[in-house]
Amino acid sequence: MVAYNLYIFDRNCSCLFYRQWAKVKECGISPEEERKLLYGMVYSLKSLLSRLSPVSTRDGFIGYSTDKYKLHIYETPTGTKFILNTDHKAGDLQEMLQHIYTKIYVEYVIKNPHYKLGTTIDSQLFVKELDNYIQSKPFFTK
Amino acid sequence: MSRQYGSKSTLEGRKASVSGELFTLTYGALVAQLVRDYESDDEINKQLDKMGYNIGVRLIEDFLARSPEVGRCHDLKTTADILTKQGFKTFLGIVPVIANWSPKGDEFSLILESNPLTDFVELPDDHPNLLYSNIICGVIRGALEMVQLDVEVWFVQDTLKGDDTAEIRVRFKKKLEDAVPAGED
Amino acid sequence: MGIYSVYIISKAGGLIFSHDMSYPQGEGEVEYSRYPVQGLVLEEVDRNIMLKYGEVQNPEITGQPVIQVGYSLVSINGEPVVNKCLPDGRTALSVIDDPSSFPIKLKFKRLKASINERIMLMSMLHSIYAISVRLSPEEGSKGIQCLEAQHYNINCTQTRTGVKFIVVAGKSQPKVPELLRKIYELYSDYVLKNPFYSLDMPIKCELFTANLVKVLDSYERERGSIYSTTTANN
Repeated sequence: MVAYNLYIFDRNCSCLFYRQWAKVKECGISPEEERKLLYGMVYSLKSLLSRLSPVSTRDGFIGYSTDKYKLHIYETPTGTKFILNTDHKAGDLQEMLQHIYTKIYVEYVIKNPHYKLGTTIDSQLFVKELDNYIQSKPFFTK
Repeated sequence: MSRQYGSKSTLEGRKASVSGELFTLTYGALVAQLVRDYESDDEINKQLDKMGYNIGVRLIEDFLARSPEVGRCHDLKTTADILTKQGFKTFLGIVPVIANWSPKGDEFSLILESNPLTDFVELPDDHPNLLYSNIICGVIRGALEMVQLDVEVWFVQDTLKGDDTAEIRVRFKKKLEDAVPAGED
Repeated sequence: MGIYSVYIISKAGGLIFSHDMSYPQGEGEVEYSRYPVQGLVLEEVDRNIMLKYGEVQNPEITGQPVIQVGYSLVSINGEPVVNKCLPDGRTALSVIDDPSSFPIKLKFKRLKASINERIMLMSMLHSIYAISVRLSPEEGSKGIQCLEAQHYNINCTQTRTGVKFIVVAGKSQPKVPELLRKIYELYSDYVLKNPFYSLDMPIKCELFTANLVKVLDSYERERGSIYSTTTANN
């Protein structure tokens, strides 16, 4: 299986982080526009799913799949969104994203006093830990 | 580099990671320095609140990361409960009493029977308006703002000023929303 | 219940058919003896007054609120609230704000999405489907097949002609793609072959609906038997 890329958004629509592990298709727009499009889509899907939920008004959005890829999203109560794209065979990766949040993002980004909230994450330590973690997963292929 | 908390994943597991006294003394030194640097008590209080805010917005992530069972709160009573029984307990080792709800249910008080920050403190006479523990207000405000709650937080009573207890008031202002992406709607 | 609703979206993104099998509607009532109401943060959303924050907890079961965020105010002291107003013309919010209205009983309900809202949501899904193709990391991907929420899924298939069939179902339901295909068959039989149906218009064919209900019922029965055999095996 393949992990393509990971996005981290805060709740103000800024993309704090992007990391890519496999070649991805060009989508013909600038990275900024692509991120805006992704955030907008996730935002709309969130409200759509909570409105259409037959079960609960606070149903959360956890992802979607197509015939080729799967988008996984994990949202913290603070509104930070972790979005991971994999191939469509991947299973439920909520726990993995939660691990990235609790053990890598909080430890190496939030607790880094030099990091200003809401800005782009450029900590090399964070990238290294994230890469190690993703690459340790059995499904990771280069 | 080894991480301090790497192996201790639960809140319980790292209770003893920093000595309480070192923390109290550090905070004391910080306030004393502010008193030297700023002219008015109001300004010092504001600085403490600001520092607290900056701590709060980060601390909440640490708290949530380690308490996966805590989801988003949908009413102020639950929020107050988690704030005291889990938040205060984890980070200050005390559980304030929740009291004095406003009739509308949008305001409550936290009564601190003890306050580890003020263990060794006597306020100097020339600083009658100094809110020594004002940093706590900032922390609460910052942390709640991150979970979409806009609140006002202030000290009503302080034992350091001769009151019987320390009382912090929290007022709910509004529920914040995720930013609407530009160009949508 | 495995299947909650079925929708059909035309090539142009218009909702042309919607049918609910089961749609559980939560509701709850709360009473206040004295002014003011406690802890409720209400907000006007379209034609309704919705609870935004301040759930009313069930004193007996924790974690299962009587009134959840997202419920709408439907009556005050038994009088219906329509379009944010009581029958006598007073706005609901002004009544709640008036100390002389107390004691007061407020009833909240989880409202079904109105037809206009469904049209809006489905056209949103239609454009998101296209965006999901565009944002694909892999060449040649089709659009969303399955949208996952925590407690349910929205399954989607698009025909070569651009019509989308959508089934709102519970988590991990068996054979949903087969069901979607079956609904497509019904559509081609009872809708497209009906000489009085004009393309891309709302579907008002009773035969179609009747057969759809039959298919969904037999799906439910089959699903029920799958579940009972698995439990028997355990």
